[in-house]
Amino acid sequence: MTSGQPAPEERRRLNEWLLTAPSLLWLAVLVLVPTAIVFVIAFKPPDIDGGIGAGWTVATLRSLARSSYARIAWRTLYLSFLTTAGCMLLAVPTGYFIARVDRAWRQSLLLLVVIPFWTSFLIRIFAWKVLLHPDGPVKAALAWLGLVPPNAGLLYNAGAVLLVMIYTSLPFAILPVYAAAEKLDYTLVEAARDLGATPLGAFFRVFVPGISRGLVAATLLVFIPSLGSYIIPDLVGSPSSEMLGNVIAQRVFVERNLPHASALAAVLTVAVLAPMLAVLLLRRNGEVGAAQSRGPL
Amino acid sequence: MRRSRFPLLVTVAVLLFFYLPILVLVVNSFNASRFGTTWQGWTLHWYARLTTERDIWDALRLTLEIAFVSTAASVVLGTTAALALHRFSSRVQRFHSALISVPLVMPEILMGISLLLFFAAIGLDLGLLTVILAHVTFSLSYVALVVLGRLEGFDDSLLEAARDLGAGRWYTARRVLLPLLAPGIAAGGLLAFTLSVDDFVITFFVAGPGTTTLPIRIYSMIKHGSPPLINALSTLLLLVTFLAVWLSQRLATRRT
Amino acid sequence: MAGFLVFDGVSKSFGTVRAADGVSLSIERGEFFSLLGPSGCGKTTLLRILAGFERPDEGRVLLDGEDITALPPNRRKVNTVFQSYALFPHLSVRENVAFGLRVARRPKAEIESEVDRMLALVQMEDQGAKRPDQLSGGQRQRVAIARALINHPQVLLLDEPLAALDLKLRQRMAIELDRIHDEVGITFLFVTHDQGESMSLSDRIAVMKEGRIEQIGTPAEVYEAPRSSFVAAFIGDTNFLEGHVSEVVDGEYIRLAITGFGDVLCFNDAQRQPGMPVYLSVRPEKIRISREAPPADARHNVFPCRVEDVVYLGTHTRFWVSVGGRRIAVFQQQGRFLLDERPIRWNEDAWISWHADDGFMLERFSEADGALTGTGVDDGEVGGDADAGDGADG
Repeated sequence: MTSGQPAPEERRRLNEWLLTAPSLLWLAVLVLVPTAIVFVIAFKPPDIDGGIGAGWTVATLRSLARSSYARIAWRTLYLSFLTTAGCMLLAVPTGYFIARVDRAWRQSLLLLVVIPFWTSFLIRIFAWKVLLHPDGPVKAALAWLGLVPPNAGLLYNAGAVLLVMIYTSLPFAILPVYAAAEKLDYTLVEAARDLGATPLGAFFRVFVPGISRGLVAATLLVFIPSLGSYIIPDLVGSPSSEMLGNVIAQRVFVERNLPHASALAAVLTVAVLAPMLAVLLLRRNGEVGAAQSRGPL
Repeated sequence: MRRSRFPLLVTVAVLLFFYLPILVLVVNSFNASRFGTTWQGWTLHWYARLTTERDIWDALRLTLEIAFVSTAASVVLGTTAALALHRFSSRVQRFHSALISVPLVMPEILMGISLLLFFAAIGLDLGLLTVILAHVTFSLSYVALVVLGRLEGFDDSLLEAARDLGAGRWYTARRVLLPLLAPGIAAGGLLAFTLSVDDFVITFFVAGPGTTTLPIRIYSMIKHGSPPLINALSTLLLLVTFLAVWLSQRLATRRT
Repeated sequence: MAGFLVFDGVSKSFGTVRAADGVSLSIERGEFFSLLGPSGCGKTTLLRILAGFERPDEGRVLLDGEDITALPPNRRKVNTVFQSYALFPHLSVRENVAFGLRVARRPKAEIESEVDRMLALVQMEDQGAKRPDQLSGGQRQRVAIARALINHPQVLLLDEPLAALDLKLRQRMAIELDRIHDEVGITFLFVTHDQGESMSLSDRIAVMKEGRIEQIGTPAEVYEAPRSSFVAAFIGDTNFLEGHVSEVVDGEYIRLAITGFGDVLCFNDAQRQPGMPVYLSVRPEKIRISREAPPADARHNVFPCRVEDVVYLGTHTRFWVSVGGRRIAVFQQQGRFLLDERPIRWNEDAWISWHADDGFMLERFSEADGALTGTGVDDGEVGGDADAGDGADG
């Protein structure tokens, strides 16, 4: 290093830019710009070849006010909500259990939870198609037990969609809950018991608040992708259980109406941003654990 | 809470829930029945059929090519991102961090359609390149997340020690930082590879007519019949996955 | 400022915290010099500034006449033994030690023989192939020392190197450090919060508090002649008395009017005049306690007292007595077989005495360092015990 070196402050600034620029630019160009384009195209008319026409219009957006869209949007919301609730109900005891079990078992259990995630997403959904098929084993077992009438359809309805959505989202709920539960100091729970709390009381007063950061992460990781579900309702759902994702895909591939798809995607984007902004604001107010790590989430 | 068996029961139920469909698939891959709903005898017929399906092997080869290229790029971008986020804490990094989080929570369909529109807007034809660009975009954040996790536990005094002993920044990075970070980078790369191989929705949106990856082929197989072949293919993929996981576990434990 | 290693008006702030405040310090070549102080006093900051990991906001650092303030750490002829040792986990012991020479691209043969020499110096000859995680704490420290010394630095910095070791090992390693320093002969700058360590190893000590140097001196100077209440209380134990000068007695001694005591004779160290306020520090081991009044002596201060607490510790006994409402600590060494005498007990009346030469007047006094009832902390702890901080400080 010669005396012609820039001052250390400047060198530090330069190093920061060198390290930050590649990923920053990439994501700005391939995530921010495309998202902006989605909002822009929502204001354009379609052209007959399935492309984007010239000029601007609000007709596309206005057509979104149709009641059928409202129904679909509502269904998307409440199916995602149910999925999230279902996942959390299952993930909290599971995450707790794995965090409390002997270290030797922990790794194996985590692996068992994660391995299905390593297999193809489509294939897992396909497997449920087979399972829930009218001639399939699950239906046969349930009918034999008398739980469902013999001609019931387990497949191609909202129930099937919900089930499979929970199935595919569950690992994303278990892992953050486990991670938070593993870091928790359990002497706090014991202290609560010592001070007179019942097991359930200790659970709600100490354990749940203690893993709140994990709970929030799990909720986001399940709810937000669920809003955009497309394949699951496509493969195991029916026209009466369509979600926003389906409709967007339809507009793109079947009807070739890109501006329409764009408009719907814009709505979905706003719906996705809302919970994230809420969490961000809560975090800034110190409610959900101050920013401890400088990394994402 | 120590006495309650409830968490244990739920965990067991969850694990059964996870593996039930997979079990069905594996069993059915040996099932002579066309539809797999009833058992009709043991056969390896579907596996044999698989070996003759050229479409599937072409799709697999293409998928792997895409995976290797996109993994390489996303590892580089993700690692530099993680290093930047770890080392610096300026306002730029806060924006950077937020930006990195976006692909992690963005629904795939949004990413798919936005990239489709983007490529249309800049006049880039859909094909191999657009798929690779898309794959790098969503993998990058995962790699950054994994590497950042390793960096947070990294003993910075090691880097100071290297500088103290006379090493310049580049030497320190090369001989101290990267060797110790390598397992984390490898883990990130493995994750990126998996995500790329398995991706359907985004790929479906940005792949051109001639770019059929394995997931796309599987999707059309599901929509248009031939379920037994899928069973056999799935079982094979499962086997490969198990092997890969077992291998990475062995590597991980050997390092420690 | 002359001297081999010089800090000249060095200041450094972290946010609102002033870690180093105009520190000026001069260290001789070959000295074993300690920076001693509680957590947060700024000693580690000075060390890091010297090593090059921090830039001072003001001031300069000079090494052998050269201003190294702007030099990056890898260009200074200074090496550090880190508190956590910072051994490279992916390299063997030999490779760790060789690191600095490899960076400097020395020829292979030279590297090998130097590594052998260094390992022999720290007595780790047959551990060369091991990895750091296979070594004990003491062994890791030796490797860290070898790794630093192999580069023939002009100064070796040691950042609380003994803090992570248990007591017996700490004592052994302290002796090792002493031996290595004698053998190698270079300047050692040693940072610690443990006064015992710094007293036993150092040629000179700088006592620091809140970013400033309180006093620099040899261990004996710092112990026997503390200039401020902080130094007096941080190193060893002491009693604090206050009052003012009443008269000068034959030039060498002055008589003080001490609150609660009356007249106290003291050596006149600094031309003090009648009327001047005074703070006196008297170490407990310099005070004698006896059941009968000792013979009167022009140079001894004698006072009746009442014994309030007695702690028998084998080698010595600690007494807390009260004189005129003031609580005084007295440490009495057991010179003779104790069971032959009737020991002084709680609630008895006794006499304490000390020689006029054994009291020391302080230049600065602060209530925070020790209350004027005579002792530091209410639970009987005398002076302020050396802060048992866990090492890491700013």
